[in-house]
Amino acid sequence: MKPKGKRKRRDFVRGAAAVLVGGVAVSSLRSCSPKLVWQIDPEKCTQCGRCATHCVLAPSAVKCFHSYSICGYCDLCGGYLRPDAKKRNTGAENQLCPTAAITRTFIENPYYQYKIDEDLCIGCGICVEGCDVFGNGSMYLQVKHDLCVNCNECAIAHACPSDAFKRVPASEPYLLKSDREKRIS
Amino acid sequence: MNDIRKNWTWFILIMALILGVGIYLGQSRRTELGKSFDYSLDEYRQVDPSLIHYTEVEPLVPTLGKISALAVAPDGKIYVGGEDAVQVFPDGGTFPVDGIPTCMAVDDDGTMFVGMQDHVEIRSKNWEKTVWPSPGGKAYLTSIVVDDEYVYVADAGNRRVWRYDKAGGKPLEIGRKDSANGVRGFNIPSPFFDVDLGPDGSLWAVNPGYHALENYRPDGMPISSWEKSSFMIEGFSGCCNPSHFALMPDGSFVTAEKGLPRVKIHNVDGSLRCVVAAPDQFDEGVVGLDVAVDDEGRIYVLDPNRNQVRIFEEKE
Repeated sequence: MKPKGKRKRRDFVRGAAAVLVGGVAVSSLRSCSPKLVWQIDPEKCTQCGRCATHCVLAPSAVKCFHSYSICGYCDLCGGYLRPDAKKRNTGAENQLCPTAAITRTFIENPYYQYKIDEDLCIGCGICVEGCDVFGNGSMYLQVKHDLCVNCNECAIAHACPSDAFKRVPASEPYLLKSDREKRIS
Repeated sequence: MNDIRKNWTWFILIMALILGVGIYLGQSRRTELGKSFDYSLDEYRQVDPSLIHYTEVEPLVPTLGKISALAVAPDGKIYVGGEDAVQVFPDGGTFPVDGIPTCMAVDDDGTMFVGMQDHVEIRSKNWEKTVWPSPGGKAYLTSIVVDDEYVYVADAGNRRVWRYDKAGGKPLEIGRKDSANGVRGFNIPSPFFDVDLGPDGSLWAVNPGYHALENYRPDGMPISSWEKSSFMIEGFSGCCNPSHFALMPDGSFVTAEKGLPRVKIHNVDGSLRCVVAAPDQFDEGVVGLDVAVDDEGRIYVLDPNRNQVRIFEEKE
């Protein structure tokens, strides 16, 4: 005859194990279906700034992407320079990005290359707005999947005012701007 | 039994705690972005009303969709190119084309030169079609002008102006970088590259990457230029402006911009004469405001957003 206390503990352990095993089984079944991840549709994004403030990660998993084949390599880059910039140079007072996440490199007169420093980019989208208004729209926001923890209910998607967040297959996790549409030079 | 209940209670409480912490972390917000994250052009959209010397009159409303090309013919008729057709005002009818014209010009005898993105189609008065071969490469034709001898075609893709004879044939290349002769080359970040003819018959071309207007002889040698970079009303802003321009009968320039959509008149030396239309007269984000001028100084602005040709006349 086993002691009553031991049996009760065993019953509890069995019950709890059943719940956990059941949970693992359900999640295993779900993993058999195609995995989806969150991504931003660049055509819908309005650069509201919520990607920078609403991600569960700090800094946000949303970063600026730059399509070099669309970029005009302009000296007067709307994504790099403030509208009221006194000079077209790398002076902090002239830069649009508040975190200085864009580097400007001289290529040849009058062309400059603009690179995004992902460690500094917080996904605020201010450069995207400047590039959209005056440039070719070569800068745009995307969720970086080596950073994103792929929450079931994405906090940014919940706050996005333009419904730009969508689920896409993990096998094709980025919504990159089509070079063919915009590229002419 | 009490022990089982107690164990289950603890189990549920711990799970609820984990869930609660998860939800809290998931919903926690950082503070809103500060002022340095605001992007506003409001300051530059404001225009001193005393600078606006033109008033808008009743527009032309084409029956075509996706209007994209505008030309004023020597006889004063207005040609508007759009989806699969060209419409002529007033009451000139509608003529079919295959696609959407990107630019147009009309000769003295009514012959029409239509840019169809990568090649030029010539339409006689009887609407017979002749097709000139594409300049090749990444040709993207954005503007055409025609004088007594030549047809000048602006090609944003190849960053050149091609000078054709009226019969077509191999074109002369204008705009190749030539430091010895002072040609710096065209810097065209986006497909906005306009040309027009001055009162003296010389060619004017916009060099949008430099915010410049440049004057060339028919053989491609540079004559003069002026440029003005500024977000203020006196200059041109962004990476590629003015997006379109036309020459007034007195040689001054009517310019249209994208980004900050505004239409202005600059004197021959580039100084600002007046404003035709301020940014608040256009929809935000409109691009492709092609402009044309008739002999009486009326200014026509193709507004793709409203699918209208808007007309501005000088205030009395």
